[in-house]
Amino acid sequence: MLSQETNKIYSISEFVSFLNIGLKSSKAKIVGEVGEAKSGPTGHIYFTLKDEKDGSMLNCIIWSSKYRLYGITLEPGKKIMAFGNPEIYAPSGRLSFIADSIELAGEGDLKKQYDELKSKLEKEGIFSSENKRPLPKYPHKIGVITSKQGAVIHDFLNNIGKFGFDIKMIDSRVEGQEAVADLLSAIKTFRKKDIDVLVIIRGGGSMESLMCFNNELLVREIAGFPCPVIAGIGHDKDVPLSAMAADIMVSTPTAAANLINESWNQALLLLERVERKILASYGIIFEKFNFIENKFKISLQNFKNNIVNLKIGLNKQPESFFIRFSLLCDKFKTFLVNSEKIIELNSPERNLKLGYIIADINGRILKSVKNIKIGDIVNLKLTDGQIKSEIKSINENN
Amino acid sequence: MGFQQFMAKNNLNENLKKLEEISQWFDNSKEVDVEQGLEKVKEAVVLIKESKERLQKIENEFEEIKKEIDAE
Repeated sequence: MLSQETNKIYSISEFVSFLNIGLKSSKAKIVGEVGEAKSGPTGHIYFTLKDEKDGSMLNCIIWSSKYRLYGITLEPGKKIMAFGNPEIYAPSGRLSFIADSIELAGEGDLKKQYDELKSKLEKEGIFSSENKRPLPKYPHKIGVITSKQGAVIHDFLNNIGKFGFDIKMIDSRVEGQEAVADLLSAIKTFRKKDIDVLVIIRGGGSMESLMCFNNELLVREIAGFPCPVIAGIGHDKDVPLSAMAADIMVSTPTAAANLINESWNQALLLLERVERKILASYGIIFEKFNFIENKFKISLQNFKNNIVNLKIGLNKQPESFFIRFSLLCDKFKTFLVNSEKIIELNSPERNLKLGYIIADINGRILKSVKNIKIGDIVNLKLTDGQIKSEIKSINENN
Repeated sequence: MGFQQFMAKNNLNENLKKLEEISQWFDNSKEVDVEQGLEKVKEAVVLIKESKERLQKIENEFEEIKKEIDAE
């Protein structure tokens, strides 16, 4: 570009701007030891990075907003890796490396930083199990933070059940210090969204690649997130502090999906159990109905039998009454015959025939000598006529 | 006349009860009262005739209901 316009004459300002355009695209990762570091009035950090071998030096700047992000204190002698691009500061003509991100590069430094931050946050209770929230039952709205590149999101989506989830995803870098800004921004976005659970997932990796998940700001954001957070960010040896701060930590994206499915799967099982129970109960009802139906049919038959028996009985009844009445008439006839005999046996006529006489005075039958006087005329009734006789004497039996 | 109305007016059980009473009168009667006996027989004949009619009606209704049940 420069060669094409060799005839063009630039002002210094124009030329510095021109250079800066080229330098902006010269992004690079550099590693070195911090020489001196000082904070400017606006909080930006001005420091030098020195080559360990030959002492080559580069002026560097990290803006305060970025510096606060990474939780690393720049001190002389500390070995760091910075990512950024060079830039010429026009007023002084000085070239500086503008660091977008910084991370520790010294052997043991990462581990030390990790341990210190872990210990500090532990003391604050950030990882306390008492603060862990359970997943809501039947989560529906799911927020997912991960990189849309790679297999992780596919693993998650392939394993999440078909329960009508409303899944919102925010694409974020998940590796290297540059990921911190993305992750923080994604979490802040989800804070404003209506979700039931937040899932942060990535594949496994080395401690270096997972260092972004040991960022203090990120850890605090996760711990203070308004709804339960599932972290499936994998780990090498040391568990990322973000995972420890999450409410639930799982090892893989698949495990995160399964966890969200769990209450729904249980609900499905419950439904199946209830369905079986209902069907079984219906079976019992049908059995009972059949039993009652059969019983009813027998009752109907019995009723029919009763009608038939009653009919037979009624058909026989007139005959029975006629017989009974006939017996009654016979009994009556016998009574009459017997009565006739008795009367006949006791008839005075019959006695007259036997030689007995019925005596009366003026129609009064004589049964005693009392009230009879000598001279009374007595009527004597015989079988074939009557005679009158006078009382001559009266002899009373002693 | 509906079945229930029929049953209300012509209670088969009442008739059977009366026939039973007449039967007992014949079994237990110590007096030989032929005239009353004839009245009882007359009454029994009427009751039997009525009862047969009622029973026939009941049987018919029962058969109708049974047909409906069997058809289901």
